[in-house]
Amino acid sequence: MTDFYQTGSITTLHQIGKTSLERIEAELLAYSKARPIALVLPALYSEFEGPAMPGIVHELAKVKYLNQIVLTLDQASESEMKKAREFMSPVSAEIKIVHNNGRRIAEIYEMLSRNGVDAGQKGKGRSAWLAYGYILARGMSEIIALHDCDIVTYSREMLARLCYPVANPNMDFVFCKGYYSRVTTKMGGRVTRLLVTPLVRSIQQLIGPHPFLVFLDSFRYPLAGEFCMVTDLARVNRIPWDWGLEVGSLAEVHRNYSARRVCQVDIAATYDHKHQVLSAEDVGGGLMKMAVDICKSVFRTLASEGVVFSDGFFNSLLLAYLRQAEDTLMKYEADAAMNGLEFDRHEEARAVEAFTNAISAASRAFSENALGNPLIPNWSRVSAAIPAIFEMLEAAVDADN
Amino acid sequence: MSDFLNLILEPIREMFMKFREFLPNFLAMLVILFVGFLIAALLRRLLVRFLSAIGFDSWSDRMGFTSMMRKGDLWDKPSSMLGSFFFWIMVLITLMTGLNALKIHVIENMVLQFFNYLPRAASALLILVAGYLLSAFFSRTLLIAAVNAGYRYAKPVARAVKVLLLIMTFAMVMEQLQIAPGIVLAAFSIVFGGIVAALTIAFGVGGIDVARKMIESEVAERKPESTDVEHI
Amino acid sequence: MSSIAFRAEVEAQIEAVGHADIVVGIPSFNNARTIGRVVRAVQAGLAKYFPDERAVIVNSDGGSADGTMDVVRASSMDDFGAILIHHRISPVSKISFPYSGIPGKGSAFRSIFEIAKVLGAKACAVVDSDLRSIAPEWMELLLKPVLEWDFDYVAPLYHRHKFDGTITNSIIYPLTRALYGRRVRQPIGGEFGFSGRIAKHYLEKEVWESDVARFGIDIWMTTTAIADGFRVAQSFLGAKIHDPKDPGADLVEMLYQVVGATFELMETYAEIWTPIRESRAVETFGFEYAVGLEHVAVDTGRMLDAFRAGLENLGEIWREILGEGDFREVEKLGETGVFPVELWARIVYDYAIAFHKRKLPREHLIKSLAPLYLGKTAIFIRTIEKMEMPEVEDEIEKLCAAFESSKDYLVASWKRS
Repeated sequence: MTDFYQTGSITTLHQIGKTSLERIEAELLAYSKARPIALVLPALYSEFEGPAMPGIVHELAKVKYLNQIVLTLDQASESEMKKAREFMSPVSAEIKIVHNNGRRIAEIYEMLSRNGVDAGQKGKGRSAWLAYGYILARGMSEIIALHDCDIVTYSREMLARLCYPVANPNMDFVFCKGYYSRVTTKMGGRVTRLLVTPLVRSIQQLIGPHPFLVFLDSFRYPLAGEFCMVTDLARVNRIPWDWGLEVGSLAEVHRNYSARRVCQVDIAATYDHKHQVLSAEDVGGGLMKMAVDICKSVFRTLASEGVVFSDGFFNSLLLAYLRQAEDTLMKYEADAAMNGLEFDRHEEARAVEAFTNAISAASRAFSENALGNPLIPNWSRVSAAIPAIFEMLEAAVDADN
Repeated sequence: MSDFLNLILEPIREMFMKFREFLPNFLAMLVILFVGFLIAALLRRLLVRFLSAIGFDSWSDRMGFTSMMRKGDLWDKPSSMLGSFFFWIMVLITLMTGLNALKIHVIENMVLQFFNYLPRAASALLILVAGYLLSAFFSRTLLIAAVNAGYRYAKPVARAVKVLLLIMTFAMVMEQLQIAPGIVLAAFSIVFGGIVAALTIAFGVGGIDVARKMIESEVAERKPESTDVEHI
Repeated sequence: MSSIAFRAEVEAQIEAVGHADIVVGIPSFNNARTIGRVVRAVQAGLAKYFPDERAVIVNSDGGSADGTMDVVRASSMDDFGAILIHHRISPVSKISFPYSGIPGKGSAFRSIFEIAKVLGAKACAVVDSDLRSIAPEWMELLLKPVLEWDFDYVAPLYHRHKFDGTITNSIIYPLTRALYGRRVRQPIGGEFGFSGRIAKHYLEKEVWESDVARFGIDIWMTTTAIADGFRVAQSFLGAKIHDPKDPGADLVEMLYQVVGATFELMETYAEIWTPIRESRAVETFGFEYAVGLEHVAVDTGRMLDAFRAGLENLGEIWREILGEGDFREVEKLGETGVFPVELWARIVYDYAIAFHKRKLPREHLIKSLAPLYLGKTAIFIRTIEKMEMPEVEDEIEKLCAAFESSKDYLVASWKRS
């Protein structure tokens, strides 16, 4: 990743040369005085027993510019939550755990649905959404960063690079997404490589350049889970609770802000993958559901911007996608050969087949019910519906801690 | 007629007698198996509790056991792995004891052999574990010492030592288990001797110059030591 | 605690002396060349500054073969009590020399404390036997704060060449200062003054059979004095010049002994150092004057080679100890040529935490620090090459500030284990 090419409509911040983490962190510490930074960590309890968490805690313990950390914990019992808290104790920033399986948070969800606010089904999207709510309620932080808790090669450089563009007041970015190459001995990130990018490009082939598609295509890794944003964005954005989380969030960012204020940053030029646990991608249930959700999210966004989808369109799209995907596949095959990576052509082709089916399924579902909307309402609307929600949420989380 | 009846009944009665004789044994076996299973399961739970209490999992993360397991596609926690291992050993012992209770000659013999073999298996296991730990320890000692002596190729050397020690451990384990001892010894001698011979030849023929240079540079480098900084 | 029984002849010597106000200890090992001068300087100092006090010199020898004790005997003036003893040396000490160059230095100190206790001494001092720059004034500087101002422990303060004493400058001084909150500039100096009170206190500690007493006696004495709340001062002694150390005294072994003892003491005094956050100066005696120092030739290239060899071969161990983020910073060092002070502070803390959590056998752990230390030293020497002494002290001050500001990290990570 040593080029300096700018893609599409957003700004790309590369990792050029060997930058000093010490300098970035010193600047962040200075900026964070005026614009405090919060970190949201969506985690399952099982991750605390995995190989990645000790490393992440070791790294976070050395970070000084964070104002608060909101750990939104799923699948954990009461005693496990205590253990998680104990585990996080080396970290000096204030830590609040949103205990999603706890009595109080369950009651919050219950109350939301009583009042007609559908927070959707449980999952990373909903957990992250509630964590933003808590940060808004506390009103202590101006910037929110988020990353997963299963990164075995986590370095606090990733976090620093992620926060920097948004925290630096001279840059005026409101949203920043991380990118990196997900490579072990073979290429990962199949959904991005073989579904999202070819899909976006084939739709452009059919309808011509469209601002949202250009925007989406600008991201080098649109499905990366690491991003950083200003707190206001968490207030006005709606978040999908399904697998369309990443794409749907990007759609909301695109809708609410100019592309000039959005950037992506290379967060791990030397991403180390030796200990990378097997990827969760399987061409079956999980992956399929994910692909369908992503496609629906793309269709819905485009339709809401006035693009008309017909049956004929979908038929052409399938064929256009297939060709795009096959071309892409050959590109990556060459790329893999050049870099001495394993490349299972058959597996990749099967993935493309599965994705084709997913697009077809998504288009059917979309034609049947275009309004099927997995978006959680934004916090502005929630607080309009339940004016005391922020106090209650704050009370619930604080009581849990 | 009664004779004939007797002729038929006799074997049946005999078999019944034998069965009556056998039945207590069989029941004993069932009881032994049942109790054995219970004890084994209980011991497993206790062991796993104990191991996680003393932080066995994180210890084995550090010692490289965990990564060894992962390489072998075992994704359990090390403590529960060890727990299961002991459980199955216990089950095996229970099974053997239970079969012994049947008092069938052939089985008794087999059980005897099994129990005779058990100490060997245990000591083989001990050798394996100790060998693994020691080889890791020694290779790291060597690695750090070599690095601090300024030797750049410390890692391959340390690795080679580790492999040699592991080969030795393996041979000892095989020897202990008495699995084809002759062949193991021969194979070990050939492999080990071969390595040493190869190294001797490689260094002897190809390395004279290198060795001389190394010694010369060592001697040359030792001199400026006294003009070096005082670290304390 | 078992008190040591002296051999009959020593017993007799002690009895002959009976009582003393001042005891000056000189541990020695093959120092025939220098010890005569040291003994004469001590005697002159005692005669000049403490003519009314009854003083005794104790030479505790570790089995010299060059007639060190004969030199001491010959240099003694008549009106001085002098006690000459051999201290016990365990087989271990003979094989691996402590960094101080004197095998069984711990035992030597123990004997000196014991004699001070028996003789009822009010003040004591210990000086190295290989000193070339000792002056009679040192006696006043080390003993007066104890006798007149009621201090319990007087550490030395020297001017040293800016390249020298790097383990002290980059690890021991900043670490002890950040941990215990007192700015004792030379915690492992080698010369000390102390009160009879603290000598008794030292004797009561259960360390005499341990590695700390064997190899890290200096840092143990300083740390114990500060941590147990004794009154600590330092005295400016001028320059420290001593016989070139035994070239066999290997850096890695030295680092292991000093850093190992310091980390070991962190375990003992965890409850004392964890709440402390800032440091204050200690009372300093003596007039600080500039001294000319011999030029020291340094080969930083070789140090950097050692660092690179470490990077190539010990990467996995370092990554395990430092974590991903700081390990990558270390990887970048070779190119940037700058060693951020915060990074070094975190590295030392990470090693302390790894020691505490027993991530590796301690010998492996601390010895794997050696290449990092050499890298740090090489870069430090290159940075200060053109600097004057006060600027160098400023650099060290910055390092100390980094240690102090990162202490939260150490404390938080220490507690969770």
